[in-house]
Formats: sequence, structure tokens, C-alpha cells
Amino acid sequence: MRQEKGMIAWAKSRKGQQFFTIVGFMIIPLALLLIFTYFPFAEMVKFSFYKMKYTTPVDRRVFVGWQNYLDVFRRKDCFGALKLSIYYMVGAILQLFLALYLATILSFKVKGGNLFKGLMFFPYLINGIAIGFIFKFFYTRGFVFDTVLTWCGFDPANLPYWLKDQAVNNWALVGTSVWRYLGQAMVLFVGAIMSVDAGMYEAAELDGANKFQIFRYIILPSIKTIVTLNVILSITGSLSAFEQPFVITSGANGTGTYFVIMNKIAHTSQKVGLASAMAVVLLLIIFACTILQKLFFKYIFRNADAEDESYAAKKQRKKQEKALVKAAKLEGKKV
Amino acid sequence: MKKRRVLAALLAAVMAFGVTACGSSSGKKSGSTKGSDTKDLSYANIELGKDYTDLKANITMFNHRTDMDSDDYGGKNWKQYLADFNKMYPNIKVDITTDTNYADDALTHLQSGDYETIMMIPAVDKADLSNYFISYGDIDTMQKEINYANTWMYDGEVYGVPSTATTQGIVYNKKVFEQAGIKEVPKTPEEFINALKAIKEKTKAIPLYTNYAAGWTMGAWDAYIGINATGSTKYMNQEFLHAKDPFKDYGDGTHPYSVYKILYDATAQKLIEDDYTTTDWEGSKTKLNNGEIGCMALGSWAYPQMEAAGKNSDDIGYMPFPITVDGKQYALCGADYSFGINVNASDDEKAAAMVFVKWMTEKSGFSYNEDGLPIDASTTDTKLDFSGVELLQDDPAVEGEEDLLNNLNSDSELNINAGGNDKIQAIIEHAANGDKSFDDIMKEWNEAWSSAQETEGVEVK
Repeated sequence: MRQEKGMIAWAKSRKGQQFFTIVGFMIIPLALLLIFTYFPFAEMVKFSFYKMKYTTPVDRRVFVGWQNYLDVFRRKDCFGALKLSIYYMVGAILQLFLALYLATILSFKVKGGNLFKGLMFFPYLINGIAIGFIFKFFYTRGFVFDTVLTWCGFDPANLPYWLKDQAVNNWALVGTSVWRYLGQAMVLFVGAIMSVDAGMYEAAELDGANKFQIFRYIILPSIKTIVTLNVILSITGSLSAFEQPFVITSGANGTGTYFVIMNKIAHTSQKVGLASAMAVVLLLIIFACTILQKLFFKYIFRNADAEDESYAAKKQRKKQEKALVKAAKLEGKKV
Repeated sequence: MKKRRVLAALLAAVMAFGVTACGSSSGKKSGSTKGSDTKDLSYANIELGKDYTDLKANITMFNHRTDMDSDDYGGKNWKQYLADFNKMYPNIKVDITTDTNYADDALTHLQSGDYETIMMIPAVDKADLSNYFISYGDIDTMQKEINYANTWMYDGEVYGVPSTATTQGIVYNKKVFEQAGIKEVPKTPEEFINALKAIKEKTKAIPLYTNYAAGWTMGAWDAYIGINATGSTKYMNQEFLHAKDPFKDYGDGTHPYSVYKILYDATAQKLIEDDYTTTDWEGSKTKLNNGEIGCMALGSWAYPQMEAAGKNSDDIGYMPFPITVDGKQYALCGADYSFGINVNASDDEKAAAMVFVKWMTEKSGFSYNEDGLPIDASTTDTKLDFSGVELLQDDPAVEGEEDLLNNLNSDSELNINAGGNDKIQAIIEHAANGDKSFDDIMKEWNEAWSSAQETEGVEVK
């Protein structure tokens, strides 16, 4: 009885009210998160240990242990498909440099700057499926791309078949992807560069810094968060490239990326367990990539007032410490 | 105090949510229990032009033929059919809605409980048919009235009347074949490849257009491996499942091997389009119509579309697949989408709908106009010239093996007749790049099939 009274008193107290309010507010977002994100994910992880189709009733699913994971690594078409991501990563790096370059130029006063920004952002607004269809015609023999190249003096007979020739078709697809996402990366950079204090440029110019030095020592360190973000987004994006190969070539002719293969295995062949295992493996790879990038950027950006030291500084300090210890040891021996 | 109010509001919201959730599930049930009160309505007993002529009803129909909605449609469009129907039944108004994404949207309509009076029956389980549609009559009576009566049969009752029926063969341009000096349609793989070669030499047309890029047009090749390639109604759903190495070379130009070999040989000898990766399905129809393409391997459903794609509809022809089994050609035939009548409709609407379906089948000429095989059992009118070709339907799987083909497809990842487009695309890739022989491809398929049979514990004969 007493305890109950205590509970009620607590519930009526300021602390108790605080507790209930917090729970009351959090319960809906938490429930949504758990039900629609973590619960399905846990289910998927569970599926990855079974041999099953979507329609297989629960009691007829066969537990196969790690078999699906072994298959992911053993099968040529599953893990081998990740090789295609290298094409997209090269494209992504190219895209980042290009975007950073254009963004830096466009952040200063340029004639028609807004028009250029608009034109370059425009592809991102088009639906991915539509882009697929546009580029299918773009790359068709004797159509847009071939015509343009002929204008530039190329002999049409020597041009490759952009989507048929397996030596170039993945590059053609990567080109499409760069065309689409370049504008988005650029706009993110422009936004970040705009927020740099203009007084810094003036000060730098007074000190005699040239444009490259301004970029290297003022702009780049100021926007490092956005650079990191963009790199992570584009690496993740290239690991999970899907739209372009799916729409333009339907993953045929050696363009089946990891996601396209996964989709085929899950939906056409109905091997849900194997596809789930592929998804889990990809997730782990993306985790690993993200962590590696974080570590990499920690060392690459030197910032005067950042708490973490640069790699070179750390090396220097370690060296000094070591020397001190050595010296102390020597001293000790002498004594 | 404010905090308490928020909490109360939250609780109220949660409770309200619970209440509405219950409400909707109980509301659904009451909708589907009607229906069985129209036992005297039967397809066989309706006499068109005499019965129900005074009936006044507004009914709706939902279907997949968006092209027939348009005034530009090359054949007879929906408007013209309805005008003809209203000459006989002026008081029955039919409102037709069409949809490009029919197969999926139709299921959504059904699940919502509020759907059109007449629907083309989408992929529902046969056991659920009676929840959605009314019976036209029992199977024995219906078999006297229509062909393919068993398409949507469950428990001896027939729930669907096919709109038309199609067969499997090759759609071609007669003029191109004539120009190439081909007098008789090829009947064996060798004759076919020779014909393609003649087309390449003597005309400017692309002999065989694969439509590689569209994907599903590749999977369509699977349709020929059953009856067309073996002449056996038991092959596809029974023998194939138990066959040892079904993709091996039988040496007599039959069986699946010969079907896919035609494609491989045609590609290797450059008898297909130059850049197969950028083919365009819509454009291919016009090209076939204009004589820029010799032929395409597609079901007869594609025949009217090719005719409608340009001015030269008379040039288009449809021939049996070039495989001869023991001196005879066979072709697989089967029903297209079937008309189903809404079980929740009022009695008048049901009667009006059944009148319309019977009129569509017997009087409209729909199946004939759409180059299909006859549905009405009392006629043999069709534009398809398949004389001398035996039209057959696949026997169903034996009891207990209904899911076996699906399981083998899944395990082997060959997905025969189930969206396995990539394996056939790969045939073209290997043939064009010359990096794998046809026998090696078939060997791989045999291995995949055998290992799937092993996984499923299938007895191999």
C-alpha cells in the first residue's frame, strides 16, 4: 500500500511528470523506428540463414546455417559483381573533383553563375527511370553520342558500340551516373563554401595568397565536413549502384552490379535467403568503408584549432617522446 | 497541467487508432458474403437478342487494353464494340476503364472489395475465385459453350470466360520473305536459318530481331520448349521436371536444345540486329510492319500489334515455330485474360454483365479481330493460318508436383517460363562474343538443372 502511494506521489512529482512527458513524446518515434526499421532488418538477418521463397510458409523454411553466406563468397556472380563497383568508384572520385572545382568557381562572382548552377543541378531533378531511357537512346548506334563525336571528327566506323562492347559499356553507365549526381554534389559544395567568412579571403589576399592557396588553406578546411559527407555518399552510392544498369541494360552483358544481381536472385529466382545474405554482406562492407574513410579524413585534414592532431604532427610527437625515453634509459645506464 | 493534457491526447490518439483498425476489418467481411442468390443465372441459358432485352443496367469493365481506348487504334476499338453491343441491348450501358499496369492494379481493385462489374481475372488463387467472381455454370455445360473452359475452373465451376486465345509461333513479314525467295515457311531449324541467311543476302531487312534489351522478349523463347519442340502435352509440366539433362542434344532437331540453338546460330552468323543492346520494343513493331525486320519470335498476341503499327498490315504473317517432330508441327495454345463477373454486384448488374460477356464471345468477333483462336465452341474462325499444325494445351502437373517446377526454377536459377530473361540474353552475348560454345552453355544448364533436381529430391528418369 505504502509503496503504491509512493509511486503515485512520484508520478505526481516534478520528476515523475518529466519522466512521463519524455516517454510520451518518445514512444511514437521510437516505435516507428523499431517497427519499420530495426524489426524488418532483424527479420532480414534471420532470412539470411534460411532457404526460402517469399511465399514459403514459416514452417516450411529450411534452416541452412552459414550456407548462404558461403555462397555469397563462392559464387562468381555474387561477390564478383562488386568488381563493377570499382568503375563507379572511379567515376565517383572524378565526380567529386569536378564538383568541387565547379563549386569553387561558381561561389565567386561569375557571369550567369545561377544559370550554370541551375543547368548543372537540373539532371538530378529528372526521374532516374527517365534518365535511363534518355541514355539508352543517347548510346544507341548512330544516335546522339555517335553524332556528336562525328562532328568532333571521329570516324563513326571506328566508334565502339557503347552498350554492346563489354570493354566500354560499364564506363558508359558510369558516365550516366556522373552526369546525374554531379549537380547534387556541386550544390552541396556551393552551399558550404558560401558559409565561409568572406573576410578571410580579404585577409588572405592582403597576405599575398594566390587563388589556389586560398582554396587549399581556407576553403577546403572550412568545408571538410561536407567533403567527407560527399565522399561517404558517393562511395556508398557506387557500392550500391542500381538504377543505371537496371534501366539501361537490365544488368545484362556484364553490367550486373551487386544490387542488380541481388534483385534478380531475390525476385526472379526467389532465393530470399541468399539475397538477404548478400544484403548483410554489403552492409558490412559499407560499414567497413565508412570507418576507413573516417580514419583517413581524420589524418588528412589539418585544422589549426581541431583537437585531433594531424598524422605528421602525431608522428613527430611520438618520435620526440621515443627519443626522450631513449635518452632517459641511456642516462639510467650511465648512472 | 499542460503536460498531462498532452499525455491524455496521446492516449486518446492511440486508442482511436485501435478502434479504427478494428472497424475496418469488420467492415470488409460484410461486403463479400452476398452473391450466391443468383443461381438461376447461367451462361448457357442466355439467348442473345431474346433474353434480358428490357434489362436496364449500368455496368463497368476494367481491362488491360489501353490501346483499344484510343481512336487511333488500328483495329476495332472499345467504342465501336460498345456501339455494336448497344444496337442489340440499348439499355445496358457499359463503362470501360483500361490500365497500363493492369496485372498489379487489378489485384489492388479486388483487394479493396470495391471493383468493377466485369474484370479481366488477374493472378488470383483458384481457391479464392468464388470470393470475387460468380460462376458461369459447371464445367460440363461450359465446355459445350466455350473452348478453354478449364482456365479458371475450381471445384467444377467455371469463373472465367477467356476474351481470346493465343498460340506460340513466329511473327514475320511476308513481303520480306518473298523478296528473299522463300516460297514455303521454314519447318525445321536448318530451313529457318537458311531462310534468315537468304533474307540477309537478298534484302536490306534484319532477318531476326531479338529485342534483347527489353528482357521479357528473351524469356519468351522458353514458351517454345514444350509442345512446340516435343509435340507432347505432358512434357512441360511433367516429363521436363524428371528429365535427365533436358537440355542435351537429341540429335533430331527437337527438344529445348534445338529451340535455343536457333537463337545462338542466328546470332553467331550475324543474322540478328547489329547492336542488340539498344533495341527498342515499340520501334520494332513499326520496323516489322515496314519490312525493315524479317521476323521476331513472339506469341500470337503480338500479331495484331504488328499489324496495327503501320500501313502494311497485309504484309504481316504468323507462322508456326520451325521445329518438326516426326514430320508434324505442333503449337502451344492457351487462353488470354478471362472475363470475370463481380460477385458483389446487384442481380441486374450480374445479368447485364453476363449478357455482355456472352455477346463479346459469340457476336462481337473480338477474338477473330484480335487474331486470336476462337473461344466460342461453335466456330473455328481465325486469321491464324496454322493448317496442318496441331494446337495443344499443356497438361497440368501431376498431383503433389504443382509447385515442383517453381522450386526447380528457383534452385537452378534458370527460371524457365518465369522471367528467366538473363539466361537467354547470355546466349546472345556468348554467341556474339564467341567466348563460349552453345554445347558448353547447355552443359551448364544441365548441371544447374540436375543439381536442382537433387536438392528437391526429384526422381530422374
